[in-house]
Amino acid sequence: MLAACNRSDSTVPRSVRYPDHVAAGGNQPPGGEIKNPLSIDSTNAADGSKVFSAMNCDGCHGGGALGWVGPSLVDGRWRYGGTDGALFQSIFYGRPRGMPAYGGIMSPGAIWKVVAYIRAQPVPADVPTERWPSGERRP
Amino acid sequence: MRVAPFATVALIVLQGTSPQDDGQWTMPGKNYAATRYSGLTQITPGNAPRLRPVWSFSTGVLGGHEGQPLVVGSTMYVVTPFPDVLYAFDLTREGYPLKWKYRPEVNPASLGIACCDAINRGAVYADGKIVYNLLDGHTVAVDAVSGRELWKTQIADINQGETTPMAPFVAGKRVIVGPSGGEFGIYGWVKGLDLATGKILWTAHNMGPDSLMLARPGRGNYAGDPNIGVSTWEGDSWRRGGGPVWGWISYDPELDLIYFGTGNPGPYNTEQRPGENKWTNSVLARRPGDGTLVWAYQFTPHDSWDYDSNAEMILVDLVLGGRMRKVLVHFDKNGFAYTLDRVTGELLVAEAFANVTWAKGINKRTGVPILDTTKTTGASRGNVQGICPSLEGGKSPASPSAYSPRTGLFYTATNNLCMNFEAAPVTRIPGTPYIGATTPYVAGPGGHMGEFIAWDAARGRKVWGIKEKFPVWSGSVVTAGDVVFFGTLDGWFKAADAKTGRQLWKFKVGSGVIGAPISFRGPDGKQYIAVYAGIGGDWFLLSGDVRSDDPADVRPPADFAPDLARHTSQGGIVWIFGL
Repeated sequence: MLAACNRSDSTVPRSVRYPDHVAAGGNQPPGGEIKNPLSIDSTNAADGSKVFSAMNCDGCHGGGALGWVGPSLVDGRWRYGGTDGALFQSIFYGRPRGMPAYGGIMSPGAIWKVVAYIRAQPVPADVPTERWPSGERRP
Repeated sequence: MRVAPFATVALIVLQGTSPQDDGQWTMPGKNYAATRYSGLTQITPGNAPRLRPVWSFSTGVLGGHEGQPLVVGSTMYVVTPFPDVLYAFDLTREGYPLKWKYRPEVNPASLGIACCDAINRGAVYADGKIVYNLLDGHTVAVDAVSGRELWKTQIADINQGETTPMAPFVAGKRVIVGPSGGEFGIYGWVKGLDLATGKILWTAHNMGPDSLMLARPGRGNYAGDPNIGVSTWEGDSWRRGGGPVWGWISYDPELDLIYFGTGNPGPYNTEQRPGENKWTNSVLARRPGDGTLVWAYQFTPHDSWDYDSNAEMILVDLVLGGRMRKVLVHFDKNGFAYTLDRVTGELLVAEAFANVTWAKGINKRTGVPILDTTKTTGASRGNVQGICPSLEGGKSPASPSAYSPRTGLFYTATNNLCMNFEAAPVTRIPGTPYIGATTPYVAGPGGHMGEFIAWDAARGRKVWGIKEKFPVWSGSVVTAGDVVFFGTLDGWFKAADAKTGRQLWKFKVGSGVIGAPISFRGPDGKQYIAVYAGIGGDWFLLSGDVRSDDPADVRPPADFAPDLARHTSQGGIVWIFGL
């Protein structure tokens, strides 16, 4: 039975490893980290911002990537992993609940610019708690 | 022609007034005229304060619950937002248990093509079938007794930005359907399907060449110039010009005409589509049998503000200037309420029902708005300030109005929001948004963001109003007991005296209301009111953090409504109220 779980099958493509997924049996599936060839600097982020608009990403994820019909990309939370490689995969191949696959019309270089833009956005420190003033006191 | 002198205007009651209401609710707008008027009389202003919840059911779905249930015989049918589950409840048994539920296969990729939450506006019953649309571009017919799928037809293509949350309409043997996608650069259309088989019998586009619009200039009442659907656009911009059909449809069997509104032209950046952009933001009258365009009228030519005209066209008969007129009444997103002759499309009355800054009025002779050109938008015009209404509309088409032949009044939710509008060039990439504008909102004059109003469509004036802190986004139902019902975004379901607007009763239903209430007679002979709770739609996008199901999507509250999430969060519940 364990033969079915053999990890040495060379037909398995190299893919992104998701450190925030649970690995069955404690063993990570084969795959590596796709490295971002760009640095997350202001020039790449500014270029990425333009691509983010030009590719209509803001139509779903909102201006400033704050979230619209698609999720916020600046809340520090990720459905499918938040590493550079996971973001690249999400853009290149799409995701099943509505994220189109852009790999056919965007070059890897343009996708990395968008990744640089997203990674450059500040993540708010206090989003988990929303509080409305009501004047109550601690018990 | 000019509007008849107001003193000679009187309402004559014809539509929606069957003396004996059969107690059912078999189509979205209650009847062909879309009056959402129930002839049931047990609930009155006197006893409405004693209304109580008699039943509720979680749909298990969190998306925005627009539209309305159906009641056919002793069964209530409920369609959820995506994944578009159809429930059939047995009203003859205690607790209204399910007879069956139908769970269609719906492509989840459509979630990324729906502009504004994965909503569904409901089903229609005809000829033993429950017919409704799935978000991913399919229409299905389900046997009303067994729940078995009878046919399933692909009508739209999500790869082109088309989704299908609208409620189909049945006129005779035709099922009429249309797409959403005004924000995705679709080429808008309506289709007529055979009710028996689901086969697509005709497709009529809302712009483009006459041959594709099924228009015959010079014949009948159609006054459009030849190929006006091309000549009022630059180049081939009509091919991606939007003009969706996501609202409500009505039907006059005597005239054999269906009436529906078309949505905004795309993109929002007007400079990419010079011209009047016909027939976007229009009302179209077509033959249901073959789709022929019989007449059209454009409410907002060359739309600069996303003023879709998908709101309901309510069919009533009026005496105007001493002469009986068959009219339709329409509350447009642009803030004007229109009364048109539904035989010819002639404009009779157009008055603002909401705070309007984009136009000074409507020229009654030409039918064209008198623009305030400082409010015209476009990429070269920068950030245009102080446009009212906002693109939520003076009233949302998602919030269908009601009409009582007893009071002669129309009842409608309204929004009191204004916006700034900063347009930018945008490129169409099929299957992705095609918008090109940023449009933040602020509350309109007075600070309240919504009001539920009673409107006299003959005189073009508000009769009474109930101001609400948040935009009012629910539909309404009015009854022969002279009680009108609506819901609020912060989760109240309310009853008011239809004559005076006096508030009679309210109940906190667990989530904001964007659905449309109905009234029906149960198998026990009693009158009931049903409504969905379940905030969503645009408010899924706009109100910030009203969702809690996704740890990977945390947003701050909206700056124009910072405390809406204090009062409500997502969650679909069907409620039934009775005495």
